[in-house]
Amino acid sequence: MWQALANGINYIINMGASVMLPIVIAILSICVGVKPGKAIRSGLMIGVGFVGLSLIVTMMNSELGPAAQAMSERFGLNLSVVDVGWPGASPMTWASSIATVAIPIAIGVNIIMLLFKWTKTVNIDIWNIWHMTFTGAIAYAVTGNFWIGILGVVVHAAFTYKLGDLWAPLMADYFDLDGITVPHGTSAYMAPIACLVDAIIDKIPGLNKIDFSMDTLQEKVGVFAEPVIIGFILGAGIGFLAGYDVTMALQLGVKMSAVMVLMPKIVKCIMDGLLPLSERAKEVMNSKFGDSEFYIGLDPAILLGDSQVVTAGLIFIPITLLIAVLVPGNRVLPFGDLATIGFFIAIAVAVCKGNLFRTLISGIAIMWSTIWIANETIPWVTKLAQTTGSITDNSLVAAMDQGGSPITYIFTQLFTMQNVPGLLVVGIGYAICMVFAVRCSKQRAAELALKREQEEEY
Amino acid sequence: MKKKVIVACGGAVATSTIAANHIVDLCKKNGIDVDICQIRISEIQSNLDNCKLIVTTSKVRRDYGVPLITGMPFISGIGVDKTEKAILDVLKD
Repeated sequence: MWQALANGINYIINMGASVMLPIVIAILSICVGVKPGKAIRSGLMIGVGFVGLSLIVTMMNSELGPAAQAMSERFGLNLSVVDVGWPGASPMTWASSIATVAIPIAIGVNIIMLLFKWTKTVNIDIWNIWHMTFTGAIAYAVTGNFWIGILGVVVHAAFTYKLGDLWAPLMADYFDLDGITVPHGTSAYMAPIACLVDAIIDKIPGLNKIDFSMDTLQEKVGVFAEPVIIGFILGAGIGFLAGYDVTMALQLGVKMSAVMVLMPKIVKCIMDGLLPLSERAKEVMNSKFGDSEFYIGLDPAILLGDSQVVTAGLIFIPITLLIAVLVPGNRVLPFGDLATIGFFIAIAVAVCKGNLFRTLISGIAIMWSTIWIANETIPWVTKLAQTTGSITDNSLVAAMDQGGSPITYIFTQLFTMQNVPGLLVVGIGYAICMVFAVRCSKQRAAELALKREQEEEY
Repeated sequence: MKKKVIVACGGAVATSTIAANHIVDLCKKNGIDVDICQIRISEIQSNLDNCKLIVTTSKVRRDYGVPLITGMPFISGIGVDKTEKAILDVLKD
């Protein structure tokens, strides 16, 4: 009986992600009360997302990859591995066999922590469970041990919910989001670095007085801030730098515009498929833990409208490319994440209270560490891409969003010990940042309480 | 004629999909024919032609000359009724 069941599960897993996950999601959806027809549609939409993504990542690599390589050779650079960004990394993660159990596990960890009062964060952001899953999926792809993969999801989930608690005062203080937090992969784990930088700048006479903001940058640059234009400029620019003729460079430009525009449309299919599950999870979590003593965990997209976040996100497009050139030994060419750098720095902006100068310095530290780690994780991300069928040739891929995560890096290094000095530097550095993050959170909570008190007196 | 509604978020993937589905259901129930344009916030300016309403999942302080409603309640599940009413008020006439 058990043997037959195991055989059946293996048979389904062997059919590949584009078949397996639709079946799993359809069954899960039916289990939580979605009608069968709708559940099957949801499952298929996820399959559509995987198929579409494989098409677009393959095209991106075969077009941009050689151009990046030719450019690097001409200028003595190293940037030959394309960053697929979160639009590329998230579907690969959902396609990993770890993902089949990741959603219930991540929710389970949340519920257990809530029941034991270890956290106040009620996460209803099902989509971004992919960040937690990524750590597990990478660890599984590298070590081949399924249980280490599961442990990766658990560890990352628990850590993320604690980060949610940590950032809640900043959400209320800077973004006016009361009772809401963002227990999310990128912004939440990157902000501790900003806490350290902010604390250091505070101590440097002269620098600690500098403050400027640029609200109108977005209006000034207009359409140039749009992904379709960013993609074209980057594609054509790299084409020219690679020594292509005008025709080929412009063709590369238009193709990269296409990648930038089509990528979110394709990834949206996966979100569509997850929606019925995500809505049910939201209802259940809200009805059980919906009181004011909890923070509701949402997607960081809710932070990306803030004008300082938007401005910083724009300034960081060229800065990130520059950092990629400067980081010693780096091979990662930032691309897929460029249009949404805001995800990396959104909470850092709140840490710096909207001070653009400090945001820039913190952001440089954040992007530097991201690119360094993403460069280290190229073999891991490539392995994940291969095992999930996202790339079929021998090319290499990188992912800044989540491939550049200290949590993923530290966890996976602990089990592989491929680069012990790297593990120590990142581990100790990040631990120091966390100390300052806790301090920053407490300070802001105190300031907030004081502000509230004063408001009540009036 | 179909009424064009822009639904925007940071990456045009996650939160805007939730909000867009909600608005489509809401309008269907109330017999309003809408055309949803789901994009990133940075792309709003280029898609304003004939647009009747903008719904963003984060707070946007810029004035586009078109009514703008924050769709955050669709994501958090808190205050949905009020937001639904605000959307219907804009689209009904």
